Amino acid sequence: MSRARHTPSKPPRSSKPQRKPKPARKVKPQQAALPPAQDEGLLEVDDIQGNILGAFNKDHQLLVALAIHDVAAAKAWLSRVAPFISSVAEVAQFNRLFRARRRRLGHDPLGLIATWANIAFSHDGLAKLTSQADADGVPDDAFHQGLPDRAAILGDTAIGEGQPVSGHWVVGGAGRVPDILLIVASDDPAQLDRAVTQLCPGAGDLAGAPEVIWRECGQTRSDMPGHEHFGFKDGVSQPGVRGLVSRAPDIYLTERFQVDAPAGDIAFARPGMPLIWPGEFVFGYPSNDRNNGNPVPAQALAPTWIRNGSLLVFRRLRQDVAAFNAFLRAAAASLAATPDFPGLSALRLGAMLVGRWPSGAPIARAPAQDNADLAKDPLSVNDFLFANDTPAPVFRPGAGPAKDFPRATADPLGFVCPCPAHIRKVNPRDQDSDKGDAFDTLTRRILRRGIPFGPPLPAPPGGQLPADDGVERGLHFLCYQTSIIEQFELLQSDWANSTNNPKPSGHDLVIGQTADGKRDVQLFTAAGGTQSLQTDRTFVTMTGGGYFFAPSISALQKVLAAP
Amino acid sequence: MAHYNAFNPPGNNADFAGDPGLAQAWTTNMSNIFDTATASVTAYLAHHGGGTCQFYNPVSGGGASPDLPASATDIPWNGFPKRHGAPGPGQPPQYAAAEAPITAGQNRDQDEYLEWFVNRQNGKIVSVHFTCEAYDYFQFLAQAAPQKVLALYQTYISPQVQMADLFPNGPTGDYDILNKWNTELGAMHLSNPANNLFAEVFLAASATVRRSQHGAEITQTIPLILCSKYGASTRNSDPAIGAAVNGLCRDGRQVTIADPVGLYMAGFNGAGLTLNGQPADGFFKIVRGAFPLALRAVYALPPGLAAQGLTVSDVKIGGTPIQFGGQLAERITMHIAGLASVTKDIHNAPVTVCGAVPQVDPPAQAPTSLVAGPARSVRRAGRA
Repeated sequence: MSRARHTPSKPPRSSKPQRKPKPARKVKPQQAALPPAQDEGLLEVDDIQGNILGAFNKDHQLLVALAIHDVAAAKAWLSRVAPFISSVAEVAQFNRLFRARRRRLGHDPLGLIATWANIAFSHDGLAKLTSQADADGVPDDAFHQGLPDRAAILGDTAIGEGQPVSGHWVVGGAGRVPDILLIVASDDPAQLDRAVTQLCPGAGDLAGAPEVIWRECGQTRSDMPGHEHFGFKDGVSQPGVRGLVSRAPDIYLTERFQVDAPAGDIAFARPGMPLIWPGEFVFGYPSNDRNNGNPVPAQALAPTWIRNGSLLVFRRLRQDVAAFNAFLRAAAASLAATPDFPGLSALRLGAMLVGRWPSGAPIARAPAQDNADLAKDPLSVNDFLFANDTPAPVFRPGAGPAKDFPRATADPLGFVCPCPAHIRKVNPRDQDSDKGDAFDTLTRRILRRGIPFGPPLPAPPGGQLPADDGVERGLHFLCYQTSIIEQFELLQSDWANSTNNPKPSGHDLVIGQTADGKRDVQLFTAAGGTQSLQTDRTFVTMTGGGYFFAPSISALQKVLAAP
Repeated sequence: MAHYNAFNPPGNNADFAGDPGLAQAWTTNMSNIFDTATASVTAYLAHHGGGTCQFYNPVSGGGASPDLPASATDIPWNGFPKRHGAPGPGQPPQYAAAEAPITAGQNRDQDEYLEWFVNRQNGKIVSVHFTCEAYDYFQFLAQAAPQKVLALYQTYISPQVQMADLFPNGPTGDYDILNKWNTELGAMHLSNPANNLFAEVFLAASATVRRSQHGAEITQTIPLILCSKYGASTRNSDPAIGAAVNGLCRDGRQVTIADPVGLYMAGFNGAGLTLNGQPADGFFKIVRGAFPLALRAVYALPPGLAAQGLTVSDVKIGGTPIQFGGQLAERITMHIAGLASVTKDIHNAPVTVCGAVPQVDPPAQAPTSLVAGPARSVRRAGRA
C-alpha cells in the first residue's frame, strides 16, 4: 500500500495487560438461528460397513484372522457370511437409540444390546478373490506393500538379533499376512460367542474354507470403562464425518450441536469435532481440500467396486503398564526435586505427556488438576484449541454444555499443554504443522475404533508401584481412512516418532518410536526455560497387525463372494 | 533479546576462514538487510498507527535479556513443495512435476527453500543432491570473492566447472545464478526466485505486524498471509513462518532470526529405507553444515555397493522403489531458528488494512553494502 493512499491512522493503543487465565463464568451458551443446510450429499449407509462410519462401540470385540487356501471355498463362505455384515445404517441407528435411551435414563439402557460383524481383506486376499489388477486398483501404495514392509517406516523394530521387524508378531508378520480380518463385536460376551461360532468357518462350510490362523478378544476395562491400560480415557476426540443418512432434512450422520461456521472457517459438529468430508474415510465421496477445507470431488475409481470401501489399519500394541508407571513416578520425582517443577506428581506428568488427565479432561482447560465434570461433558471435553484462544462455540437452539468451565487460552508454545503431548502430536488442531495449517491437519485425521485387550494390571494397595505380572495387555488399535500413507503413517512416522514435527520440542513419549528407543521431550518451566525429559524405555510395542481394505457390502456380495 | 557482535555465514560454514574482511562484509550485508526490514516495518507501522516495531537487528540492536528456548521458536516445514503434494486421498504426490528437467536460465519449481538435483545414468538414479543455500549468499560471495564461488562449485558439483561458466562476462561481471552447473547439471544453491535470505528476513519482519479485519484480529495462518502478503499461501514455509512470528508478537515479544541466518535442513526421516532388505538411511549424508544447520546433503550408495551395479533406484521406501528425488525430499524437515524475548512488553494495536509492507531504506546506510535487497541478476524463467 502506498503512502499516498493510506487511510488516516489511529492513535496507538496503550499497552494492554498480559493475558490472564479466563475465570469460569456463568453465561448462556451462544445460540444462533440455523443457516441453510449445506448439501453434503447422501451417504450410501446401507452399503458402507458399520464400523467405518458408525463405530461399533462394544464392550467385547473379537478379531479373527483367516487365510484363504481355496478360492472357491472362500467365496462360498463369504456368501454365507455376507448377510451378517453390519451396515452404517444399522449401527448408526442403534447408536442413536442407545444414546437417546441413555440420555433419558441417566445410565446405559439394560437389555439394549447388539452384535455386529465387519470384514476386511489384505492386498493378497483381495487379489485371490478378484485379480492382481483389481487389488492394485485400491489407491494406496502402503496397502499394496502391506504392514510388514511398511513397519520400519513406522519405527517398529525387530526383537532379536538378525530377526525381521515382524518376526515376533503374533499375527501378520512377513509370510503370515492374513487374507481376511473378521471383526465381531457385541455388548454381551455370550452373544459374541454365538455369533463367532456362527460366522467362523465350520463343519457346514466347504472343505478348504478359510482357516482361522489367529483370534483374540478385546474388551473394555471392567474397572475403568473407556480407558486404555495406561489409565487414560481413550477415543475422546474423533472427527465428524459430513454427509446425510437420509433425504429428510437435517438427518446428518454426525449429529450437529454447533451452527455452521462462516465461509473460510473450519466447521464443527460439536466443540472439538471438526466436520470432514467423507472422502477422507470412505472411497467415492468428496474429500477435503487441504488448503481451505472445501470439498474436492472424488477421484475415479477402478475397479468401481472400491466405492464405499475404506482402508483399515490394525495394530496389536502391547503396553508395558508397569514400566510406564515406573517411568512417570521416577521422572516426576526427579523433576519435582528441581525448582522448576515443585510438587510435580506422576499423575500430572502423565497428563502433560498425554495432554489429558486420566478422566479425559484436557490439561488445556484443566491445567492444575483433573476435572471429572469437565471430562463427562461431551460438549466441553473437546472444546479447546492450542495456538489461539478458544472462542465460545455458537450452539444450535437447545444445545449447550451442562456447565461452564474455564476456557482454554492461547498456548502456542506449549507452556500448558506441551507440544509433544500425545494428543497434540497426533492432532495439532489449530497449530500449524510442518505439513500446513489447520485445514491440512483435517486431512490427517483418522476414525479410531480401538479396544483394549488383556486384563488390567492390578494396582497394589497403598499407592505402591505395580510390578509387571507377565500378562500381555494392550490395545487393538484399529483405524479407518482412505490414505494410509497420508493419514495413519504420517501421524505415527512423521509426527509421533519425530522430534521436529509437527512442532519441535520432542517425541511423543507414549507411542513414539525410534531406532534406538531413545526419546525425549522438552518441558517448559514456569520461568520460561525448558527441562529435558528422556527415556530409552519402550512402553508400547508392536506385536502384530496388518493393512486391510474394508469393501462395501455390495462389493462383498457381488464381487468378492461371487463365484 | 539476543545481541551478536557479527553475523556468521550460513551454517557456520568455513567460507570466510582466514578472511576477516569478508566476514566483516557479510556482517555488514546482513545487518543492512535487517535494518532495511526493520525500517520498512517501522515506517509501515507509523503510517498505520500500529505502534512499535517488534523486529530487530541483533547486531546493531538486541540486548542481554533472555530469550525463549530455541525449541519454542523453531519453525519447521516439509521440504517437498506443497503445490506438488498429494492432491487427495489415494493420489500420489506429483513427483515428476516437482523435478521436471530444466536447462540453464531456468529455475526449479521447488519453492520450499529446498531444491534437489537428481543424477540419473541410464535411467537409474545414481545420486540425489539437496541444497538449501540461498542464492543471495552466493551473489555476495561472487561479488566479494569469486574464486571461492568457483572453489565451492568444483568441490560440490564438478571439478570441471570453469570461471567462465559462472561469470559469463568475466570475474568482475555478474554471477550467473542460473548457470548450467546450478540447473541442468547440478544444484549448488537455490535457484527459485522466492528462495533467498532477504526474503526470509523480510518475511519474518513483515509478519510482526499484527492485523485485523472486520474488528477482529487475524490469527489464522492462511487469512494472515493473505492479508499481510508476506509470502505465498500455497507453500508450506511462508505461512508457517509468518504465523509463528505473528503469534509471538501477539504475545508481546520482540523477535528476530537467530545467527547464523539461513534456511536449513533440520532432519531427515530415513525410517523404512532399505536396500536388499538392509537399512539404507545411512546413505543420506550431510556434506556442508550439520543438523540442525545442514546446508547440503547427498543421497548416494557407497562405492562398494555402487560397484556391484546397485543404484539409488534399487533402494525402497517401505517397499516402494525410489523413482524420484522428491520421495527423499518429502522426508526432509526444513526450518528456521527464530528468537523471541521472554519479556512481553509490546502490545501494538493491529493494523486494520491489508497489504504488503513496502520496502524502504534504513535511515542510515552502513558504509559498505555488497548485496542488500532482492537478487539483482537472477535470470528468471519458467515461473512467474
